[in-house]
Amino acid sequence: MSKIAEDWFEFKGWKPYPFQRQCWKALAAGSSGLLNAPTGCGKTYAIWFGVLEHFLRHRATTKKKGLHCLWITPLRALSKEILLATTRVSDDLDLPYEIGLRTGDTAAAERARQKRKPPEALVTTPESVHLMLAQKGYADQFKNLEFVVIDEWHELMGSKRGVLVELALAVLKHINPALKIWGISATIGNIEEAREILLGAQWQQSALIRARIAKKTLIETILPDTLDKFPWAGHLGLKLAGKILPIIDQSNSTLLFTNTRSQAEIWYQHLLQLQPDLAGQIALHHGSLGEEIRQWVEEALHRGVLKAVVCTSSLDLGVDFRPVDTVIQVGSPKGVARFLQRAGRSGHHPGATSRIYFLPTHSLEILEGAALRYAAKEGKIESRIPYIRSFDVLIQFLVTLAVSDGFKAEPVYELIRQTYCYRSVTRAEFDACILMIIQGGRMLEAYDEFHKVVLEDGLYKVTDKRIALRHRLSIGAIVNDVMMQVKMLGGKYIGSVEESFISRLKPGDHFWFAGRNLELVMVKHLQAIVRSSNKKKGIVPSWMGGRLPLSSYLTEALRHKLQEARMGKREREIDFLQPLFAEQEKRSYMPAENELLLEKIQTKEGCHLFVYPFEGKFVHEGMAAIIAYRLGKIRPFSFSIAMNDYGFELLSDQDIPLDAALVQDLFNTTELSADITASINTTEMARKKFRDIAGIAGLVFQGYPGRQVKTRHLQANSGLFFKVFEDYDADNLLLRQAYEEVFDFQLEIVRMRAAFTRISTHRIVIREPGTLTPFAFPIFAEVFREKFSNESLEDRMNKIKAQLEKL
Amino acid sequence: MEITLAGTIIQLLPQKALFLPEHSLLVLGDLHLGKAMHFRKAGIFMPAASAADDYTMLHRLFQTYQPRQVFFLGDLFHSLHNSEWQQFGQLLDQYPGISFTLIRGNHDILKDSEYRQIGLQVVEGALRLGDLIFAHEPMTEIPEGAINIAGHIHPGCVLRGLGRQSLTLPCFYLSGQTFLLPAFGRLTGLHVLSRDRATSVFAVLPERVVAV
Repeated sequence: MSKIAEDWFEFKGWKPYPFQRQCWKALAAGSSGLLNAPTGCGKTYAIWFGVLEHFLRHRATTKKKGLHCLWITPLRALSKEILLATTRVSDDLDLPYEIGLRTGDTAAAERARQKRKPPEALVTTPESVHLMLAQKGYADQFKNLEFVVIDEWHELMGSKRGVLVELALAVLKHINPALKIWGISATIGNIEEAREILLGAQWQQSALIRARIAKKTLIETILPDTLDKFPWAGHLGLKLAGKILPIIDQSNSTLLFTNTRSQAEIWYQHLLQLQPDLAGQIALHHGSLGEEIRQWVEEALHRGVLKAVVCTSSLDLGVDFRPVDTVIQVGSPKGVARFLQRAGRSGHHPGATSRIYFLPTHSLEILEGAALRYAAKEGKIESRIPYIRSFDVLIQFLVTLAVSDGFKAEPVYELIRQTYCYRSVTRAEFDACILMIIQGGRMLEAYDEFHKVVLEDGLYKVTDKRIALRHRLSIGAIVNDVMMQVKMLGGKYIGSVEESFISRLKPGDHFWFAGRNLELVMVKHLQAIVRSSNKKKGIVPSWMGGRLPLSSYLTEALRHKLQEARMGKREREIDFLQPLFAEQEKRSYMPAENELLLEKIQTKEGCHLFVYPFEGKFVHEGMAAIIAYRLGKIRPFSFSIAMNDYGFELLSDQDIPLDAALVQDLFNTTELSADITASINTTEMARKKFRDIAGIAGLVFQGYPGRQVKTRHLQANSGLFFKVFEDYDADNLLLRQAYEEVFDFQLEIVRMRAAFTRISTHRIVIREPGTLTPFAFPIFAEVFREKFSNESLEDRMNKIKAQLEKL
Repeated sequence: MEITLAGTIIQLLPQKALFLPEHSLLVLGDLHLGKAMHFRKAGIFMPAASAADDYTMLHRLFQTYQPRQVFFLGDLFHSLHNSEWQQFGQLLDQYPGISFTLIRGNHDILKDSEYRQIGLQVVEGALRLGDLIFAHEPMTEIPEGAINIAGHIHPGCVLRGLGRQSLTLPCFYLSGQTFLLPAFGRLTGLHVLSRDRATSVFAVLPERVVAV
């Protein structure tokens, strides 16, 4: 029981939820733990009053000074929210408890002040904590730290930022073994595992508290007036914009989520074009916009003065906007958990119903509306897969320690072994990491001048100031392309855009950014100087975004809905799609749940083989590579591979032989492991993973927006690194990690095995329709393609030449 | 593969070099030696052995063609001095019969004495041999009847075939009076150039060069 909490809740006229009281009790007992609670039900205060209670009981009476609590969040927007919520309590109750903010945006002067006279609590991000670990004497700053709270842990856990958290916690626990760690997580499939990962070796003595607040969610799919029987990704979305205007109009405040930043820009423009009087009433929010703009939007949302905000995952988390009563999801949300989380952004009042509209971007996607409703009802919430054995993050961490006070090998090895991520790392592997930072890997020749970390009296440290600076600039586990700051002529910062986009523009060219039409005036260092323009034309930057696959639960629900459609079951989405299914049946075949459909179609491009496992894009990518590899064992083939969430296509210049027995064999599970290994070597997958690994481990230094550090001469494309490592250092830990990440996250190996097993029991249906079918068309139209070839370069060249000569 | 430019026979070698038998001249562009070490000095773990292939290839070329002279068409060494320069010097020492000339490129910023020290003549701008003009960057104005042989661009070409097949390969690239060499160094990238009727492209395969 917490006296001040009860007092404050009474003062506010609120009544604590049972889970809040449970938390206060557990915190008072000195436990660590994980709180599983949705946004907007008071989870912050469930933890915060426990922290305050401890402070008043133990700290106020002693002379101990300095940081008492670190509150780590994944988003800067969320940090400010936490700062406001906690400061409110200190103000209301007149507590001697100051809370500071420490993110990438915190000015140097403020950081210095925080170091001189630390506040009682700092609200911060994983990267900022690692930056603090890169400062001399960091242990002093944390010596009286009692609490670390990790907000939205489910979000961090599925990324390498979660590994940064694990490492930071290990260091902080080492400084104060009595440290209390609390995580806050939304519901995910593996909540128990989330606790184990967060708390490391001591998880068994911890608490797991569930809020158990049921929330009602209404899901409605927005249907077009007419059905396009040949779905083309992206072609439907904007056409439906007219249908959401009345929804926005009738709602108090609407959040419109898109999956990418460019889509957000496009939708914002489009809504204004359709209804110009929305100007000033709608806003745009995404991760590339400047802090000031985002802050303004968030505050306006709080005040309830905006009718709608077009946003991306930048508004997924935490922040509680009470006026929002409607959410619209544009395009597939790809997962049940993400969809429900976004739905939860509306109806924050206790007992309120969340309302979410699903706006499909092509006709097949309409079925996902029904699938989402089904999966939500069945409570199928996805798990987050944690990263393990991330040597790139470990190497970065070791250099961080070397930059600040230096480190000794033995204790640091013991320390990292306490984490979930590195508990299986052997001493030999750890030593290989050390070797990499002191002599650049195993090769050491007489003339070598490798220089990064040096070993002096058993202490590993960085002595070169430039290396230390470069390292501090690249701390973090999010790898971006080189970004350019976009600034107005007057100097106002608007946001950042990939350099590769700006480099395609000439001064005088126009582009859309931050919802405005901008004219490029000039490019100076890493800054694009722009001015506003009234032009109506311009291109929209495309940011490299993660192209997520449909989750396993969603694909399962989708297959279930397809089966229902085949059985003639009535549901709004299914009814609407009937003509499309009829067309599919007429041209080819409508597969049942226990059948696998393959379509072979000849066009002037060559022979297309379409396969429809409905297993999500990543599984299809791996499956396509394996099938290509297995076909290549029959005779040499070159394939162009395309996939979407429903199926994949192998396109070859020569005929692909096919019969049911052969297909049975192509999908056999007996030599799966060996074939997976063999096939991923032939694709770009590992190379793509290596790009991020190279960035995190410090192989590729990208410079930072606005900093005029000359780095061009140190830049090399990660593809080149990958090739060089493959050829000269094939056993390298980082290279091996790239392959392991392909297995776990790209191929989703567990899921793929299950898919192969499922398909091996299916009846194979082969059709040879004369033209593209409704299922085939969206895959055929995919622009992004992978390659597979086991023909020799010479043969491929000769074939292409022969084809050219025929023209 | 052999072509004739400005009346001179030129062999296009799959090792990404030119050999001009009449002049007993071997021409190499954009070696970017020292790049691996440059990265390593800055704490970036580029495998050191990655440079070895370039040196092996140089030996093989010098021994096979036994040229009297070798032109390096600029960007011989990647920026600042490092220990790989000595290694390169030792390699040149083994071929006293060859005269080595560097046509300076934008990355060639070593001290004059450092070039002298390993017996390398340095030429600024361009070097003319009959109607062939050798330069690092392609010249903007080329005298009538002459051909400018240049590097700097790292030309590559994309070949497309049926079934959406495509191949990206380094190439020699002839457009008007400009003839571009592919980059010799292993640690270099490709800049894909477009093709039209006025250009001739010679793609580099592992064993041979082919006109496409």
